[in-house]
Amino acid sequence: MSVARELWTGVALDDQIQAASSNPVILDGQALAVWRGEEGPVRVWEDRCPHRGMRLSFGFVRGETLRCIYHGWTYATDGQCLAIPAHPTLAPPKTICASTYPSETRYGIVWTKLDGGSNGAALPDLGPDEGWEPVRSLFVHAAASPVLEALLNCDLGQQGPVHMVAENAAEVEIGPELRVLVAVHAMDDERTALHAVARGPRAASERAGLARRLERLRDDIERA
Amino acid sequence: MAIRLYDYSLSGSCYKVRLMLGFLGLEYERVQMNFYPGRQHRSPEFREINPLGQIPVLEEDGLRLRDAQAILCHLANSHDASGEWLPRDAERFGPVMMWLMFAGGELMAASAARLHDALGYELDIEEARRKARAAFRVLDDHLTAREIAGARWIVGDTPTIADVACFPYVALAGDGGLGHEEYPALRNWMRDFRRLPRFRAMSGIPEFI
Repeated sequence: MSVARELWTGVALDDQIQAASSNPVILDGQALAVWRGEEGPVRVWEDRCPHRGMRLSFGFVRGETLRCIYHGWTYATDGQCLAIPAHPTLAPPKTICASTYPSETRYGIVWTKLDGGSNGAALPDLGPDEGWEPVRSLFVHAAASPVLEALLNCDLGQQGPVHMVAENAAEVEIGPELRVLVAVHAMDDERTALHAVARGPRAASERAGLARRLERLRDDIERA
Repeated sequence: MAIRLYDYSLSGSCYKVRLMLGFLGLEYERVQMNFYPGRQHRSPEFREINPLGQIPVLEEDGLRLRDAQAILCHLANSHDASGEWLPRDAERFGPVMMWLMFAGGELMAASAARLHDALGYELDIEEARRKARAAFRVLDDHLTAREIAGARWIVGDTPTIADVACFPYVALAGDGGLGHEEYPALRNWMRDFRRLPRFRAMSGIPEFI
């Protein structure tokens, strides 16, 4: 599976992106900063400060701004630079702007795409957004295609068939009341992340067990 | 009651001890070692203090201790009236010891990778990074299970010396060419750790959170 730039890809669990945090994510070899203000949704940016190229995933959050760790350049949620501490009286020109990518949170997963346009398929649609519980993210040392292959043939216990709900997301039904959605995220040619969420009355109580079964799947793929 | 620490600013193992002294609010004398490039820790004079030729070494009231993990145990045992940093109950004592040994064992592969990259030590860097990633994954899986159980620390409901012992070489991973991308639970735990009262940063660990 290659990452089409116009394809929405799940890159993190919303639950694991803390308030007031900036986090490093790699998608198709591109370094991204996935950050959240003190409140509000998760944003996905290029992991690079326009000033000196420092990674913005090392940055820190104040209110709804992300600040670079190097010289404190301060960016609003749309990427616009608001303040440069070394020049306190200067209003930064509009041209100083961090590169942003589209981001959406659906089913507890943060999705992004590297092509910011409106080309390509819509986000996976599995019905209402409510009721999905996070399971966990996994990071597998294998390329995306064998990981996807293993996912389609996996056994999470008492399950029905695995079916694709997008080019890079699969759904597993475990009994009548538990559904697991797994987003497949190609980091580079050698690493693939999986982001799993579950829905149903047993989703919260089954979370620890599902996480362990997914860890076993990860380890089995790497041994193969 | 005077405490003396044979210390090197850039050492993650010395940093564990400085963190613990800070959390416990203890005053101490720092003996700054010329670890690099002077290799003072391998000098005949320092071998009289620690035959293993390693830092940190902590001295207190005629006691002379080597090994960061042993020193953390000593400090918590002698100076923490709350008993929370080194809990003695059966439910927590064994797990704290287990993760302490992990910090001084498997996790030290991350220190080796850092010594290679930062100070030019000759060693098999790919092997060191592979072992470090395996150790990070073990701790990330554990902390993910803890998150699922509604907990934040390695053992129990409060930070312990297990967290102090594991923090430095996880946080300094980048110095050894190891990213934090694959470890969301480690990232969240590190952020919580950095928000603890009396936390102090060191070179390579951001001051601002």
